[in-house]
Amino acid sequence: MNRTVLVVGLIIVATIVVVLFAGLGKDPQRIDSPLVGKPAPPFALKAVGTGETIDLEALRGKPVILNFWATWCGPCYEEHPTLVANARNLPNVQFIGVVFNDEEPKIMRFLAERGTAYPTLLDANGKTAIAYGVGGVPETYFINPAGTIVAKFAGPLSTEELQANLAKALR
Amino acid sequence: MTATLGRFLILASVLVSTGGAFIAFGAGAKRSPEGLRWSQRFAYAYAALMLLATVVMEYALITHDFSVQYVAHVGSTQVPLWVTIVSLWSSLEGSILFWGLILGIYIAGTTWVNRNDHQEYMPFAIGTWLACGAFFSFLIAGPANPFLTVATPPLDGPGPNPLLQNHLLMIIHPPMLYLGYVGMTIPFGFAAAALLRGRLGQSFLRPLRASLLLPWIFLTIAIMLGGWWAYEVLGWGGYWAWDPVENASLLPWLTATAALHSAIVMERRGVLKGWTVTLIQASFLLTILGTFMTRSGVFNSVHSFTQSAIGPTILVFLAAVLLFSVVLLALRIDSLEAEGKLESAVSREGMFLVNNLFFVVLTFTVLIGTCFPLIVEAIKGKQMSVGRPYFDAMVVPVGTALLFLLGVGPALPWGKASKKEMQRALLPPLITGAVVLIVGYILGVRNGWTLLTLLFGGYAAHVTFAQMWLPLRQRLKRGDSFAPALIDAQLRRGRRRFGGYVVHAGAVIVFVAIAVSSTMRTQEEVTLTRGQSTTFAGYTATFLGTEERTEPHRQSTIARFSITKDGKPVTTMEPRMNQYAAMREPVGTPAVHSTITRDYYISIMNLQGDQAGVLIINMPMVGWIWGAVLLMGLGGLIALIPAGRRTYVIVPEPVSTAPDEVIA
Repeated sequence: MNRTVLVVGLIIVATIVVVLFAGLGKDPQRIDSPLVGKPAPPFALKAVGTGETIDLEALRGKPVILNFWATWCGPCYEEHPTLVANARNLPNVQFIGVVFNDEEPKIMRFLAERGTAYPTLLDANGKTAIAYGVGGVPETYFINPAGTIVAKFAGPLSTEELQANLAKALR
Repeated sequence: MTATLGRFLILASVLVSTGGAFIAFGAGAKRSPEGLRWSQRFAYAYAALMLLATVVMEYALITHDFSVQYVAHVGSTQVPLWVTIVSLWSSLEGSILFWGLILGIYIAGTTWVNRNDHQEYMPFAIGTWLACGAFFSFLIAGPANPFLTVATPPLDGPGPNPLLQNHLLMIIHPPMLYLGYVGMTIPFGFAAAALLRGRLGQSFLRPLRASLLLPWIFLTIAIMLGGWWAYEVLGWGGYWAWDPVENASLLPWLTATAALHSAIVMERRGVLKGWTVTLIQASFLLTILGTFMTRSGVFNSVHSFTQSAIGPTILVFLAAVLLFSVVLLALRIDSLEAEGKLESAVSREGMFLVNNLFFVVLTFTVLIGTCFPLIVEAIKGKQMSVGRPYFDAMVVPVGTALLFLLGVGPALPWGKASKKEMQRALLPPLITGAVVLIVGYILGVRNGWTLLTLLFGGYAAHVTFAQMWLPLRQRLKRGDSFAPALIDAQLRRGRRRFGGYVVHAGAVIVFVAIAVSSTMRTQEEVTLTRGQSTTFAGYTATFLGTEERTEPHRQSTIARFSITKDGKPVTTMEPRMNQYAAMREPVGTPAVHSTITRDYYISIMNLQGDQAGVLIINMPMVGWIWGAVLLMGLGGLIALIPAGRRTYVIVPEPVSTAPDEVIA
């Protein structure tokens, strides 16, 4: 029995297994936003349909769920009913949809077919999406009543995930 | 029906491989010839079952039997037949089945080739292979079962990952990679057998080395094809990005290359046995690690197509094999006694040791760089990644040092050498090195590392060429006529040696081509309106317009450019954007105009009406990489050809004063 080989070998084995094991179950696509814990970038955008301008600053005092989406995005179709249902159930939470890289008639048709319960804003040149560092759609930011981003979620939300992240905004 | 048959075959393969492994280990422990014969039969049966299961899956794919879950996932009636056939390895479940098939073929083939030889080791080797086979069969039967049924079969499926349909290279790259990866199981089994037996005899070195060389050839070519594919398809003009999965294919290649070198010292000097066995085991373990990296979803990579549930299963297997290897090594490494000893550090064998050291350093560098994000996240809970700068900074110096060794090592004599011999061997190639350096400088090379690469490359090329033809020159000096001397000295008696130097020649070219293509590339980003042209790197590209082409599985927008040089037409280039039904983002395919000296590369960044935003890259020498790697593979094949037609002609040995003699 060669003790050196055994000890060195076992150390290498243990390191590799522990490191790889720690990596299991994590989603490498999930990249934390540097904006979490920072003030939400301000914006004032026109709402689709009504033409009314909505300013984020004016929404202070209420938790905001800011959802970036587009009509060309498949998972957004999946997510839409969850958002609408939750918006109806949570009158004290301000839901906002921001659509970028898209055309107003298409958005109108989407909302007419699938219903809506909150304002949808058009981010015409994508400036707001860039300010938030949106990497893909759908992506949702949870903003607390003080105007600080408390969580970011990439991909279509389920009700449980929405509730869990919203809880952070209400803390 | 098809699915049931497939499931039955896989379950049978689990039984056959498990039973066969037990029988084989028993036969090894008892040294029973009857037991060995039975384990051979089980090895053949395992291969037959894997082959049948693959045929069943291909049948389901080709007949579009969407009641089979895998077909429902990757099949489509809209894709061409060749895409349907290669869909076998387009997704996780199918590729694990494909893995099983290749493993079966390797096991049966090696068992058959050695059916009458090495009876001392074969039972343990077959036992180890079948134990690995049992694991993969278990994966196919359970966590990654492609033969599950769909209750309500869809009328059509989405087709395989569009990236796989984008280029023909994608048909060859995965099988080559699998042939390389899976093939590492065979030397692992041989090494385990030697350790279990506590002996590594001289006669067993030959199959051990051959079993390592064959997957090494496949892996070498597979790595190159992956890079070539990325270059031809992804449109960013590069061929290597230090992506975790690229690294995963490089890691076993590095240790296998080191093992091939230390095996030579082992053969000639009887030393480094335990070390070589360790490297062989590491190569196999790194292929399993690589599989884990690709399939666990732990690493963020372009290759992690899916997050699958087989990650934990592979990790358990990896841990088990690691433990098995370490304990076995610790128990038996001392009994693989050294028969000889190293005489001098500045000698051929000394250089082999340094070579091994460098390869191991490279392996750890790449391994740590790849796993670093995981380590940091485990300790600090923060996400971080190491990118190109780390790898370039670490790998370039070690790589350059390896090129230096590639020149100096073969120039040095075996054993001890006098100062005079040393000077005579080492000084003349310096002239070639200097000439190449100066030529490079005149042609505009200014990067320090590239100039150093040219110097070492010229040196190594001189030494390699001289060594390659040394046996022939010895024969000619003795007065033999040219043709028989050529055939006998180079291709018959000195074939292994000759093949080795052909590999070296390819490697020298690869080193130089990588250095030149990465430091001398220039690029330009322009937006052209139809009819407009741009002149860059000597070529004038005129944007002629776009054309839409609809194929069943994709829609392409093709931008057409006419290329002229000094007013004379050269070619028409058609980079394109492909939109696949199953994918949101379009996939671009660049157009490449290759000449001997350089590539002129056009990739579309965006298309809007009459305007095209394009990236034009001028890449010198990049085509040399592909060719030179093929040359390395060819050299490997030359060295591999089995010594079946051994000719026992007694030739009076020449009294050689040359630094090296032919290994007969």
